[in-house]
Amino acid sequence: MLKRKTKLRAYLLAAICCVFGISAGGSLAYAADGDSYNYSVWGDTVVSPSAYEATTLMTGTSLGIGAFKDPSDLHVTADNEIYILDSGNNRIVVLDINYRQKAMINSFNNDGVADTFLNPQGIFITEQKHVLIADTGNKRVVHLDEKGQLVQIVEKPESDLLPGNFDFQPVRVVMDKAQRIYVMAVGVFDGLMEFSAEGAFTSYIGANRVWVDPVELFWKRLSTKAQRSQMVMFTPTEFTNMDINDEGFIYATSGDSGDTIRKLNAQGNDILRRTGLYDPQGDINFTRDLGPSRLIDVDITDSEIYSVLDSKRGRIFTYNGDGQFMYVFGGMGNRIGEFNTPVAIERVGDDFLVLDKAFGEMTLFQTTEYGRTLNEAVRSYYRGEEDKALQLYKQTINRNTNLDFAYSGIGKAILRQGDYKDAMRYFKQSLDQPNYSKAFLLYRKEVLRANFSTIMTVVIGIAAVTLIIRTYRKKQARKRGVSFE
Amino acid sequence: MNKEFIKFPLYVIMHPFNGYWELKYEQNKKLNLILSFGILLMLILTNVLSSQYSGFLVNIYNPKYMNSLMEITYVLVPVLFWCAANWSLTTLMDGEGKFVDIFISTCFALLPLVIINFPWIWLSNVISMQETTFYYFFNSFAALWSLYLMFVGNMTVHQFTPSKTIVTMMLSLIAIGFMAFLCLLFFSLIQQIITFITILYQEITLRN
Repeated sequence: MLKRKTKLRAYLLAAICCVFGISAGGSLAYAADGDSYNYSVWGDTVVSPSAYEATTLMTGTSLGIGAFKDPSDLHVTADNEIYILDSGNNRIVVLDINYRQKAMINSFNNDGVADTFLNPQGIFITEQKHVLIADTGNKRVVHLDEKGQLVQIVEKPESDLLPGNFDFQPVRVVMDKAQRIYVMAVGVFDGLMEFSAEGAFTSYIGANRVWVDPVELFWKRLSTKAQRSQMVMFTPTEFTNMDINDEGFIYATSGDSGDTIRKLNAQGNDILRRTGLYDPQGDINFTRDLGPSRLIDVDITDSEIYSVLDSKRGRIFTYNGDGQFMYVFGGMGNRIGEFNTPVAIERVGDDFLVLDKAFGEMTLFQTTEYGRTLNEAVRSYYRGEEDKALQLYKQTINRNTNLDFAYSGIGKAILRQGDYKDAMRYFKQSLDQPNYSKAFLLYRKEVLRANFSTIMTVVIGIAAVTLIIRTYRKKQARKRGVSFE
Repeated sequence: MNKEFIKFPLYVIMHPFNGYWELKYEQNKKLNLILSFGILLMLILTNVLSSQYSGFLVNIYNPKYMNSLMEITYVLVPVLFWCAANWSLTTLMDGEGKFVDIFISTCFALLPLVIINFPWIWLSNVISMQETTFYYFFNSFAALWSLYLMFVGNMTVHQFTPSKTIVTMMLSLIAIGFMAFLCLLFFSLIQQIITFITILYQEITLRN
């Protein structure tokens, strides 16, 4: 109710502003050059120090393996081996931790015949270093073992769930610990395709909800059947990318409106925590002509930290497990650290690799001091090391007072230490009402307990005095012989 | 006299039918007007204090947009619009109320918003999140009470039947919409004219 009231006031204010010719719209989403930004608790764009800086630009030539041609996906294993899917050249390049070529997969042995890829779009490496390739042009998913030997090929599935003329064009693939394969395919609106370890199609999971534009729905109601058949159908949005974390949860991004980042459990339900002040979605302040962020890749690291890539503005947004916005970097342009057509991001330890399709380049981003502190603060908090988190969060806000969720982190740590009043102050700073309430309840109990005797004395005193006054007045009234009301 | 000052408004909101009758036919108009303005002033004060001092759990208010002067308009403008709209309608619909009567009855109807919300400004500072339900309950209760009083007041002032009162109240809301639109139009036109004149003046002065 309160929010509605404030909103109403905001509208009223906006209307008044319009009258006096002050434009209220068009918040600036861009920060000062070279600097990063964050969102304040009020939703304003505020400056923030950069957490990451571009350090190296790598091309196929500089790596000594010939220029990349339309590379489309990246994957980094736990021991920091980098797999680059060079789609235009139909090959997979494997780099070691020092960015030197370690291997190259051009072809594989398929029943004694050398088989190659055709415009593959997605790659995934399992813990055992098995390689899964979404071989889009050949309409199949190829599963190779760690030595590059063929394990199996998943081709167009036969199922009642699929239409007869179904064209199987896998673009992204992941495999969970139980060896189930999840495939994202072109033109599939029903969710991710799940295949069993044997490569048999089992079901769809995590379909996006259909989002209906009310205005469009209105026009559709008015139009005739012939007109309607010409209109765009309401279909759920396709997923744009996915990744899987160590616990087997799939993080999926989708293109358009609604929840563009989702964390799917085995049933396909969205279990992403959105306890930050704003839902993770990329930019929240944007100009109308460019529109909201279009997220096309997601990467998950330890401690539930995940990053998403916005293809419209070339920015990489990182959130912690609670959905709080940590930092952003990147951009569109021609300088180092800027992209033309970013398609994939991956973390190599704490460094970031961003793959640019049109330029055939890979940019390496490394943490700044601020970024390292913030990463470590979030990690320590996730591990439950509150004291360390407190120290690190304090360091981060020394560098960036605008980082509002850090205050909540500090509050949680000092709440655990028993300083309720101070904790309340910090929670207030990051507008964290649930935690403020928790701290407040403890504080109230503490104060009431400490002053119990005083409070009770006052209460009993007041009761006694009123009682005495009453009886005295009654007596007086009886004496005068007048009845008191 | 002094006691009456406090007692009568409370009597009206507790016994609206008798209270409004007395308000219209038996009470001193001048005194009522003073009381009405007093209630409006108190309501403004309550709203201003509420936006500043309400507990954090029920009141998230961006200090950047906090403006106590605007709080005055948020009270005065709706009340005046309501009275003007209601008066313009009811004169056409055989209502007996004069503008003053409408204004006074409306102001008296706003009293619950003061006497319930004012203590809650301070109480909201000592409640937890679970207990905010009480806060919202009492807020809604105050609003409903005010609405009921407005209904009874309108009915008594104009000597309408209940159904006719409801219809006129609905129509008044629509009339408010029209008035707001006309005001916006008027202001924007005035603004255009002022800009035009300023530019003309600049043009002429720069010519020399």
